[in-house]
Amino acid sequence: MDLFDIVTPLFLSLIVGGTFVGIIFGAIPGMTATMAVAVCLPLTYSLGLNNGLALLLGLYVGGISGGLVPAILLGIPGTPSSITTCFDGHPMTKAGEGEKALRIGIVASLVGGLISLLILDLFAPVLAEFAIQFSYVEKFLIILFALSVMAALSSDMLMGIFSGFLGIFISLIGTYSIESGGNGEIRLIPPGMENWLESGFSLLPVLIGLFGLAAILEEAEKGVPESMSAKDVKIGAASTFSFGIFRNQIGNLIRSSSIGTFVGILPGVGGSAASILAYTGAKTFSKHPETFGKGEPAGIVASESGNNGLTGGALVPLLSLGIPGDSTTALLIGAFTLQGVQVGPLFIGENPRTWDAMIIAMLVANFAMFGIMYFAIRFMARVVTVPKPILFPIILMMCVIGAYTINYGIMFDVWTLLIFGLFGWAAVKVGIEVAPFIIGFILGPSAEIYFVKSLESFGDLTIFFTKSWIAIFLWVLIAGSIGGSAMLARKRRMQEAFAE
Amino acid sequence: MGSLTHVTVNFATSHLIFPTLIAGILALLGLAILITKRHAIAGSGAYWQGILSAMDRVRFLGAVALTVLYFLLMVPVGDHWPNTGLGFLICSIPYVFLTGALFLHRRGARDLIPVALTAAVAPTLVWWLFTDLFFLTLP
Repeated sequence: MDLFDIVTPLFLSLIVGGTFVGIIFGAIPGMTATMAVAVCLPLTYSLGLNNGLALLLGLYVGGISGGLVPAILLGIPGTPSSITTCFDGHPMTKAGEGEKALRIGIVASLVGGLISLLILDLFAPVLAEFAIQFSYVEKFLIILFALSVMAALSSDMLMGIFSGFLGIFISLIGTYSIESGGNGEIRLIPPGMENWLESGFSLLPVLIGLFGLAAILEEAEKGVPESMSAKDVKIGAASTFSFGIFRNQIGNLIRSSSIGTFVGILPGVGGSAASILAYTGAKTFSKHPETFGKGEPAGIVASESGNNGLTGGALVPLLSLGIPGDSTTALLIGAFTLQGVQVGPLFIGENPRTWDAMIIAMLVANFAMFGIMYFAIRFMARVVTVPKPILFPIILMMCVIGAYTINYGIMFDVWTLLIFGLFGWAAVKVGIEVAPFIIGFILGPSAEIYFVKSLESFGDLTIFFTKSWIAIFLWVLIAGSIGGSAMLARKRRMQEAFAE
Repeated sequence: MGSLTHVTVNFATSHLIFPTLIAGILALLGLAILITKRHAIAGSGAYWQGILSAMDRVRFLGAVALTVLYFLLMVPVGDHWPNTGLGFLICSIPYVFLTGALFLHRRGARDLIPVALTAAVAPTLVWWLFTDLFFLTLP
């Protein structure tokens, strides 16, 4: 009975529709799953939490999966997470096996998504149960650990750390909230801006600016490259696909999906890291590593099961600790905020129906993705030809609606969208990493409360090291992630110097 | 040692503790970046010149200018018909058309017709969806 309360025709339609739209976003180079969620977020205002999440999770799964279409057919990753799919997918297309490569990628995506969903279902409640006992000290250290992991995995650790702290700093602009235990005083607001910045920058306009507007500005900077024409897309229909291809890929599928899920669990680490690690793993364990990069189906299997493995994994820290696993799940925080629901250790226990709805939505979205892409493969291949001059203005308009309606009609939120759109475009060029920045921005206010309240309660800085064995363990993890990353960077520099 | 690590939090000024700490960390990190990347920073003028010369200035600056104009006009136009969302609709139609036309590589009649159709249909549909169906405020 309960199940049918959640699974209504509208709920299912939103998942399938969201997955379909997500695939289109993923399949068009320059557009991502994150952008799909950002643009469609305003549609959830009137849907209620469960139905809103159904739409967004469909977009998420579809967006991550759709990236394989241009990666295989054009050799251009539709999303950053399908970068390694190009390595073997496009050579197969050039050899007339495009359709076969697409079907391999679609099946691998389904398996990756389902394995990660299983891990999410089993692992998130256990982690949440464990995290309930955390005090403010451990909660602060968890945030510090999340930032250190993100910084360690950034292309430049120093810039990664700087970006995370910059995000925290900007999130502190405005009032020290009384509702969270603060004193209600304002800080960091430039003179004359008090009326607009009293509550700081709203989360959603910032996210929509960074992931919607900034992406379109980047495309505009490149001159909005023309989409392929239909006659240029060669799918290679003569190639034959059979599920027998996967007979020797069971180990690869499980390993790559697990790698993707694990990378997803690490806060702020995106799908590109998941697919690269899964691909490297598959190549390392292969009996014929020399075939990788030349049209090896195992490479597509690893890449696609790895990046779809991320989808369930990234929800683990979000739903158990309140820390987003990647930029797309950071946007899901916006959906929860809109509905007045707090994500964190208590979320699953206090919202069992929403938790069930999310698991069901992810399950249906994975099968919907498979159904849409596998059986409408020729139509999906044409998606890469959708003209950007038609799509981009609509996306820009939707970004404006999302920003304007979040606080029921405040124009400053629309200007926030523009400010952070331009910031997102410029940030990449000066080396600021957007993922640590946004996670810092989201977690900054919580970090402040946890830090200051810990000091108020205990009156001593040593409490962060002596509160419990969990605190000590978290410091070991923080030191390990930064130390490990520094060692790897040093080794890389030495290798480069040696090569020169 | 105990006195060194002891901290008394004054509630009246507690809103400044964390921002001060983060600003201090950012200053230190900024200094480290200045030292380690001094060569790159010294060459940043040429770097940005390269970006500006390689960019499609018409499409990039045109998109930014149209967006600023769109944001500036939406509220004054909407104020003529309060609480109807018409400011959004009236400004979105030319914005979608002009941005679409700006992004096109060929601007013959055949290319402009789909852009014009999109500009007429998409904002109208979205306006109807949000004002009549979702009852949300638009400018």
